[in-house]
Amino acid sequence: MFALLKRYRELIVVSALLLVPFGLFLAHGTVPREPNFVDRTVLAITAPLERALGFCVDSVVAGWKGYVDLRGVREKNQALVRENAELLDKVRALTEAELENQRLRGLLDYAQTHEGREIAARVIGVNPAGTPLSIRLDRGSDDGVEKGAAVITHAGIVGQVIRVTGRTCDVMLLTDPNSHTAVMVQRTRSRATATGAGGGQNLILEYVRRTDDLKEGDTIVTAGTDGVFPPGLLVGKAIDVVKKSAGMFQSAEVVPAVDTTRLEDVLILPLVHWEAPAETAAVTARDGGAREAGP
Amino acid sequence: MKWIATVGLALLLLTVESVAVKYLGFSVTRIDVTVTIIAFLALRAAVVQGAVCSFLMGYLLDVMSGRPTGLYVFLAVLVFLLGRFANNFVDVGGRASFAVFAMGLDALHMLLALSFTWMASRDAGAIGFSIGGLVLQVCLTGLASVLLFPLLKKVVPEGSERTSEIGLLR
Repeated sequence: MFALLKRYRELIVVSALLLVPFGLFLAHGTVPREPNFVDRTVLAITAPLERALGFCVDSVVAGWKGYVDLRGVREKNQALVRENAELLDKVRALTEAELENQRLRGLLDYAQTHEGREIAARVIGVNPAGTPLSIRLDRGSDDGVEKGAAVITHAGIVGQVIRVTGRTCDVMLLTDPNSHTAVMVQRTRSRATATGAGGGQNLILEYVRRTDDLKEGDTIVTAGTDGVFPPGLLVGKAIDVVKKSAGMFQSAEVVPAVDTTRLEDVLILPLVHWEAPAETAAVTARDGGAREAGP
Repeated sequence: MKWIATVGLALLLLTVESVAVKYLGFSVTRIDVTVTIIAFLALRAAVVQGAVCSFLMGYLLDVMSGRPTGLYVFLAVLVFLLGRFANNFVDVGGRASFAVFAMGLDALHMLLALSFTWMASRDAGAIGFSIGGLVLQVCLTGLASVLLFPLLKKVVPEGSERTSEIGLLR
């Protein structure tokens, strides 16, 4: 018996390996068996390996996708940077247009409420030497500009035309030491002279009688007696009022209403001989007080 | 101990395949790495050793399939024996011939699996057979055979009695 088994050992083993599972399949082919201990062991062995492999694949895929995404992000970022630059440029242009619109609207308001033929001009240069303190405008004698004409903005006076060419003119600013403007205190109608102090300094208010009522913060407007500026235009605000114990005049400074270092658009008034107001009340009645519109 | 390494390799490859299927989405086909190893066993291993290894690999495939019915165990041993028988009529030496040999066994394995599944369930829709899927699976198994051939030469045990004997068992 044993000899027979030994002789056909391989046949028996192989037949068993073949027929046992086949029998199981025939018996339970349609109903999968529940996992036994060995099945669970095999699955317990493979599960960590599957997780580890999955983690590796996930890492590689995530790295690759991240790289691809980064490439896309880089291109998108470049496109957005370009778009952002274009938009910023448009915003700057719109801001400039808005500011210009505000300036021109102010000038237009002035032109509509004042008589005469104003010439709108644009600042195209500043005297690089600094003496005199002057700016150059893009209007000249061809446009009807005359030497001595007043230059203003909607915020106040700027200066006086001192030189005219065909297409340009130079304007001495009221802050130049050679500039002397006839002014008056709006509140009291006391007359004085505003003289430039040069550089970025305030104007010097001269020839205010010591007995006149002058307070800090008083509005200083043009008097219209110098034949350059019409009366009632804003010059600035009085500060540092000093009433001396002796002498005829008190001293003060005037902060210019117009920042002459930031001018862009101005109006050139035609050269006429303005009549000085007979009295304070007359001037006030005509202009309704100084225009204190700011930018 | 090489047969343990062979079974371990089968387990590793099955695990890799399960991960690959998960990520590559082989909804129609798969790579039959166990058949590749069984084909190599049919060429090199002794009959009992090869049958036991095939039985174990079939068992692993059965367990990994999620629906253990014993079919893959039976088919693994059967394919091993058929491959061993076919080896008597063909000369398989290099990678290419091994790949063709494995592809043939894989096609046979798949058709047998489909046939037995159909016989058991009598439900044609349950087996989900498609010629395209069969061809693709066979091709992928052939590719895997080419790639695994050097590794299998080192791992799979070689039977001393497998020289020039003719027959299924001897």
